[in-house]
Amino acid sequence: MNEWVVIVGAGVVTFLTRASFIVFADPHKFPHAFRVALAFVPAAVLAAIVVPGLAMPQGALDLTPANPRLLAGIAAVAVALRVRNPLASIVAGMAVLWGLQALRG
Amino acid sequence: MLPNARSEFLAGCRDIAPVLVGTVPFGFVAGVAAVGAGMTPIEAIALSLFAFSGIAQLVVAQLVAAQSPALLTLAAALVVSLRFLMYSAALSPHLAHLPRRWRIALAYLMTDQGFAMGTHHYSQPGDRRLRHWHLLGVGVTLFTVWQASVIAGAVAGAQVPAAWSLDFVVTLTFLTLLVPALRTRADLAAAVVAGAVALAVSGLPYRLSLVVASVAGIGAGVLAERAHRR
Repeated sequence: MNEWVVIVGAGVVTFLTRASFIVFADPHKFPHAFRVALAFVPAAVLAAIVVPGLAMPQGALDLTPANPRLLAGIAAVAVALRVRNPLASIVAGMAVLWGLQALRG
Repeated sequence: MLPNARSEFLAGCRDIAPVLVGTVPFGFVAGVAAVGAGMTPIEAIALSLFAFSGIAQLVVAQLVAAQSPALLTLAAALVVSLRFLMYSAALSPHLAHLPRRWRIALAYLMTDQGFAMGTHHYSQPGDRRLRHWHLLGVGVTLFTVWQASVIAGAVAGAQVPAAWSLDFVVTLTFLTLLVPALRTRADLAAAVVAGAVALAVSGLPYRLSLVVASVAGIGAGVLAERAHRR
């Protein structure tokens, strides 16, 4: 019972945030400052998700080469800067992670 | 369907294809996490159909596993979905001319990857009138592949060894969206501050660190752009 409240509720929450401006608001009325701020949303939100995934894999900060996810992330960034294909970056990142995990047992 | 609408739709399906290599394991991980949290496979699949958001599904699974009250779990899902407000605001000027049912469908299908692809596509020169068909192609393709992957994960359950580190695909997927989003110094300032703050406040409950870090990063981007203009 509790599960179904959460399941349907999560659907309502995600749909309302997605639909907020597209379905319910008039974008021509946005203030200028708001539009300037919007430009930085992707960089900020994505970094807030990615950086802890690389630097805190076990929940504690680890910026040393002993952290395989940090090295794998650096490899994926290096590929992403050269090739505009997400597939190449993801494959490179996973390959480095698996390689380091195999080497270190 | 007009010939141009059809070609926009198919271009959307094609353009999103390279992203799917991340979508498949990400969806699989989300399906495994929901079943691992004690949900039945049917509940895990229903959650995915209703929410259609990897991060929201993972957060809900974590909090269901921790036996949080429903209201707290939904509050956490709302917090990680706040970025959709920003995506919605950024896309809405392009979609304002469309009928309501189109806007409802495109809102439901909006994802991080679809938003990134959509803003890139709308920034290209040329006729923009039929580009919502491109968004629809991206959305339908991602939706189909995502749901199939979640179902596979929910059915296979916890049979995948943790040593495969499939969860790292989640981080890599967002990393491949982040790198092309860094076009100016102000973008870089936003990302660096958001990343640093995310590490500094990672102890906050209910994934609040994501929102605090995002707001700090957006503020840093706005300040950096102002400083640059002077």
